[in-house]
Amino acid sequence: MTLTANEPSTSGTAGDTAGDTAGDTSQPLTAQEQQWVDQFMDETTLFLGPDPAIMRSHQITSRSAYEDECISKGVDPIKVDRIRKRLAGALDEGYEMCEAMGAAPGAKWGDLTTAIYTAEGDVTYLSCHGVIAFSAILHHPIRYIMKYWKDEPTVGINPGDGFIHNDARYGNVHNTDQSMIMPIFREGKIIAWVAATIHEGENGACEPGGMPSGSETPFDDGLRMSPFKIVEKGELRRDLLTFLQHSVRDPKLQLADLKVKIGAVQRIQERVDSIIDEVGVETFVAALRVTVEDVEQEVKRRISELPDGTVSFNQFMDSTLKENILIKFACKVTVKGDKMTVDLRGTGPEILNRAINSPLCSVKSMMMQAILAFWWPDLPRCTSAMSPIDIISDEHTWADAGYDAPMGQSLQASFRGFSALQTAFAKMQFSNPEKFSNVLAPWFNQINTFLWGGLTQHGDQVGNLCADLNGMGGGAKAFRDGEDAVSPLFCAMADTAEQEVMEEEVPFMQLVSKRIVRDNQGFGKNSGGMGYEMIVAAEGTPMWGFMTVTSGSKFSSVTGMFGGYGCSTTPLAMVKGINIYDIIRKDSSKFDLSMERIMNEQPYEGGKYTTAHMGLQFDVAKDGEMYMIAQGSGGGYGDVLERDPEAVAKDLELGRISPKVATSIYGVVWDPETFVVDQEATTQLRHDSRQARIARGKPYKEFLEGYVKTEPPKDLLYYGSWGDDTEELTATHFTNNGPERVKATIDKLPLIMLPDRREVKISALEDRIRELELKHGEVVHRKS
Amino acid sequence: MKRISVDIGGTFTDCFFAWEDQYVEAKALTTHHNLAQGFNEALDLACSRAGLDRDLVLKEVDSVRYATTLGTNALIEGKGPRVGALVTHGFEDTIPLSRGRGYGEGLDPSKQQNMPDATRPDPLVPRALIRSVKERINSAGKVVVSLMEDDVRTQVRELVDGGAEAIVVSLVNSTENPVHEQQILEIILDEYPAHELGAIPVLLGSQVSGRKGEYVRATSTIVDAFLHEIMFHALGQLSNNLRTSGYDKPMLVIHNSGGMAQSNSTDALQTIHSGPIAGVGAAQHLAHSTGLGNVISTDMGGTSFDIGLVPEGGVKHYDFQPTIGRWLVSVPMIHLLTLGAGGGSIASYDRIHHAVQIGPESAGSDPGPACYDRGGLRPTVTDADLVLGYLDPDNYANGYIKLNKKRSVYAIDEVLADDLDMDTIQVAKIIKNAVDEQMAIGMAKELRVRGYLPEDFTMLAYGGNGPLHACGIADHAGIRRILAPPFSSVFSACGAGNMKPLHIHERGSHVVLYNPTDRSLYQSYDELNNVIQELEAKGKEDLIRQGYDAADIRYSLEMDMRYGNQLVTTAVVFDINRVSGVADVLHLIRTFSDIYGKRYGAGSQAPEAGIRAQTVRVSSYVDGDVVKFDSIDSGHDRTMPAPVGTRQVHFVKIDGAVDTPVYDAEALHHQHVIHGPAIVTTENTTYLVEPAWRLEPTSQGAVWFLKD
Repeated sequence: MTLTANEPSTSGTAGDTAGDTAGDTSQPLTAQEQQWVDQFMDETTLFLGPDPAIMRSHQITSRSAYEDECISKGVDPIKVDRIRKRLAGALDEGYEMCEAMGAAPGAKWGDLTTAIYTAEGDVTYLSCHGVIAFSAILHHPIRYIMKYWKDEPTVGINPGDGFIHNDARYGNVHNTDQSMIMPIFREGKIIAWVAATIHEGENGACEPGGMPSGSETPFDDGLRMSPFKIVEKGELRRDLLTFLQHSVRDPKLQLADLKVKIGAVQRIQERVDSIIDEVGVETFVAALRVTVEDVEQEVKRRISELPDGTVSFNQFMDSTLKENILIKFACKVTVKGDKMTVDLRGTGPEILNRAINSPLCSVKSMMMQAILAFWWPDLPRCTSAMSPIDIISDEHTWADAGYDAPMGQSLQASFRGFSALQTAFAKMQFSNPEKFSNVLAPWFNQINTFLWGGLTQHGDQVGNLCADLNGMGGGAKAFRDGEDAVSPLFCAMADTAEQEVMEEEVPFMQLVSKRIVRDNQGFGKNSGGMGYEMIVAAEGTPMWGFMTVTSGSKFSSVTGMFGGYGCSTTPLAMVKGINIYDIIRKDSSKFDLSMERIMNEQPYEGGKYTTAHMGLQFDVAKDGEMYMIAQGSGGGYGDVLERDPEAVAKDLELGRISPKVATSIYGVVWDPETFVVDQEATTQLRHDSRQARIARGKPYKEFLEGYVKTEPPKDLLYYGSWGDDTEELTATHFTNNGPERVKATIDKLPLIMLPDRREVKISALEDRIRELELKHGEVVHRKS
Repeated sequence: MKRISVDIGGTFTDCFFAWEDQYVEAKALTTHHNLAQGFNEALDLACSRAGLDRDLVLKEVDSVRYATTLGTNALIEGKGPRVGALVTHGFEDTIPLSRGRGYGEGLDPSKQQNMPDATRPDPLVPRALIRSVKERINSAGKVVVSLMEDDVRTQVRELVDGGAEAIVVSLVNSTENPVHEQQILEIILDEYPAHELGAIPVLLGSQVSGRKGEYVRATSTIVDAFLHEIMFHALGQLSNNLRTSGYDKPMLVIHNSGGMAQSNSTDALQTIHSGPIAGVGAAQHLAHSTGLGNVISTDMGGTSFDIGLVPEGGVKHYDFQPTIGRWLVSVPMIHLLTLGAGGGSIASYDRIHHAVQIGPESAGSDPGPACYDRGGLRPTVTDADLVLGYLDPDNYANGYIKLNKKRSVYAIDEVLADDLDMDTIQVAKIIKNAVDEQMAIGMAKELRVRGYLPEDFTMLAYGGNGPLHACGIADHAGIRRILAPPFSSVFSACGAGNMKPLHIHERGSHVVLYNPTDRSLYQSYDELNNVIQELEAKGKEDLIRQGYDAADIRYSLEMDMRYGNQLVTTAVVFDINRVSGVADVLHLIRTFSDIYGKRYGAGSQAPEAGIRAQTVRVSSYVDGDVVKFDSIDSGHDRTMPAPVGTRQVHFVKIDGAVDTPVYDAEALHHQHVIHGPAIVTTENTTYLVEPAWRLEPTSQGAVWFLKD
């Protein structure tokens, strides 16, 4: 028998000590014995890790006695509404301050939020701009602070205090976001919280920019701030500030934005204070609570209006950002009455030395993004918007990773949480008479941009990323094409920024900055919004490098909708060993750049032309070496053969699609000189295409017999459930004897770690050398 | 001073006419087919009111000044030529992609947030008319790829063959080095000489904006090209009208920078929103000349609520990347916040919170509020105002619109009263209170984010619905003094009468005043002074071209500054024009720090992260005659005038109807005081004096609303 504390959070290694003694044959402890055990555990706590009781819950708390008391005195909905609107004004004021004063690229494009919380930490209201996902996440650190630091003699919570936090294990979208959380006191009691959160970028991780794809342990993820007090009674603690600045590549950024967040939160607090002074504490507390409850009720109502049923949407990630694998993100959404259940079981296991794992809270935050931005954009942004939805997930999958998994690229899993819900909802709401948003094909869901770092032309050491990640292609609508490179899935009105402004700060140019890539389109009756290409090259710096953090170069997880095609796949392409600047300075005609042309024609002599998946770890860039990627597209909607032929001809004329696509995908015939559609020939070609489809068709049973396999291909590194059974997962683990495929439930799977790809490569090369030595009779004496 | 100032709006053409010390207001309906007709009508009315002969007036006035929404309307209606654009290779889709966020520019936040509905507006330049040329200049202005003449000729011909009627050339980093843009201009002129029939207007990005940002500069240039022709013809029409009427001086056009210039020195882009901005200018002059202190100007019309900031001490707030229509542009424009709340804002039931939502939808003027009887079925703010008894159904909008109260009652009952389980009056009060508070929140936020407190401000209220809602808005915002200003019915036109000839030139710069990496202060004084001198020379040239004396020209140096890598910069006006040593550099740093600390709170400054100037800007201007405002004192002994009648009116904080006295503004003078609740009717609007407020008429038609 293992003796465990009743209080799971006060453990040595948090998250691993839930007191489950199921299957144990020993006698249960008496109350007295349990008390002894608890006391012993309390006295021997190594440190206070994330608390599973806090971290597993996305529901709002029950009404506190004080909230109940405040509400019982009567609530006037009109008065509460007025308080809410004033709070919204205060939060927007704080948001605008962050946006105006912030130094992080995230602050500049709106990747931030300001919010007010109940005393228990439920988000009541979020600024009307910025990242909605934060409404599903920041209750975790507040609950942690309330549970562990409030009564802790060495910490405590006092008026004017401020807590900083970034580690997603304690509740965050990802570790590059930093929060400043401050309490609101009245008569010695905490009655609410105010916070500001900004995507800061650089956080001292193993690679610059805050989202390291190369992290192999949690310690490679950079700063891992559990919630701690950095502002005491209004004063920023310089010792802790120094520690933080010392721990990151950009100490200027760390300082400046910390001040920004403190200033914004204090400004919001002033406004909140004046509201409380006017309406009284009890009315204010009641208003916060009632708002949260109103939204929960509305969500239940909206769920009950959806037809009952289950929608499954499984996605696959095609790399770990280091090697090619296929790992599943399983999702099944079931509606029954006013209950909705999201079942993630069957999702692949965490990989303990790769960066793609995500804590469940981060996945939930992106589900919230789908709910509040894509399902019901009119809803207030409260924690309670997801409260009525049950989420079932197995811990230690890559979308519900444990404490020891690296999470530098947790967005890989959490963005798939978004896509699962965004896509499923198009089907769930399709026949609903009342819709709150458009029926939409999947939005693009990857961060296709360059992260960079090194020494700038001004001598500053920096690390961050290009705002191009904000140019994700929009999904096709049911009634028109999706918008090209329009907005990241996580933030409306984000900004892909101006290159001129960027170039002034950093020593590289985007030689191709914004040009739509031909055929990079989710084909369909209505096409998905297209993506553009970027070609960068550094110049004039002693030290610079780029990285990319994107999956989907071989198998995109952005699908089409109702017959539409998904996003096309594009690799990372590089030309090393040349200096493009030398070439184009000498001959302007050589300045004719596109990834398609460069890689097909390889026009620069001496260049080393390579393509790879878009998981590039920090790569040192010499002057003039070119790196090329493309932004992805949204999914297409409806049958390609129903697309308006004139729209096809227009895309063709503008070079957005190739003649091959126009003919073979869209079935359109046109005059190559005038781009006038030949209606008759088009009708015939489409008719033929439909006939060919019919000819290819098979009865469903026959199709299943031919296509469904009992397990994935042997040579594929596959992780996740296979087929309908979501109990057991298939995985390949690496033993001393090499790779071995196993199939087991998540708790029985061995720890999954992948071999170092450089070692694998070296080993293969060594084998080849020995093979050649043997073949040619060369005798080599090795010491080892 | 003898002067005619006109504000040509969407509905009315307002005229403010100054003849020595006599000031006259006049209005006429705008005649969109020929703006000169409306102008003539308004001027005739003004002359007749002044007892003067029109020809004499036009012969003797020192200037005729126009503020116009013409460009704004043309942009909304999409009326303009086919514009083609030449851009840098690799940036072919920069314009259509509009920084991603272009789908939401100019929309209400609730629409911006609705991502599944994101749809970009129809482009001003179709993608088929965008061509790239092989060239590249780096951020320091050095040529990386030289321009190829043959390549340029090919691309230009393709644009012309494609039907381009105007060409915009907007290349990357052309603000740092415009050589390629200028070379392209020469090539185009060579291909299509200006003297030939059908010559194509060519606009260069570097001439339109000196600020970094390839997208906003291109868009600014495109908007300019798009509006160029229509503005040219409309202004020409007005100018010819004046000339044939005996006016032989140049016509002056009001700019959104807060200045003005002759039409030959005016870009179309500079005229956008010039009417409302002239109103802010009037507020500034009024505040300065009468010692009003901090002023916030508010103009509440049928569909929007425009807010302008006029803090004491002459601080001007600009938007450097304003949104015009649906387009983000780069032009230094006097800051104007427009909230989508007005008389036409629709009230709807919020089922989530069992409350009332005001806007963002507006009934506009067509169909308009339910009471307009033009088919509107949803209740609006104006319907609530009518139900509460604030409006006279027979005398609304100068009597042009008759109101039907039954329609208002029906709309409120149908849409709201049943769900809220309230009677019509209760709901109407909620609507009135909600819209007042909503505007107060927007106004207060606007002040606070700039470091001001609402209670330190006087609110100027004008526009059709302004004085009706002013007390309610001020109550919520904590403001105790409201002034319906002199000449309020033509206040923007009055502002046009005060504008100075002004030209603003700016240039993106990389001035590191403090470098934290090597802990050094700026030392390249000559480099900075040369930039300032260059910008002053441009302003001087503009003003001399218009006939002003070089000796009368004044300059003001401004810089957009930031700490560390902040993107958003703070505009700082300096009291020096040259930098010649450490003392000057530290002076610049201190000035920035003071302004920043005031705006964002003491201690928010982060000089440790570095101090940079991103843009250097010089305002060149000439002082001139201005409208003389009389003293607008309040207080002293006053008497209560006799009302012309009473009306049953409902107020938010009073149960039941109040038998409220109604006064005629014509009969009031500056010895009177009216204690609320009261209603005062004027030719153009209604003054609602709420309980605990009093109205005190003062000079030149102005009235004070003062909190008891």
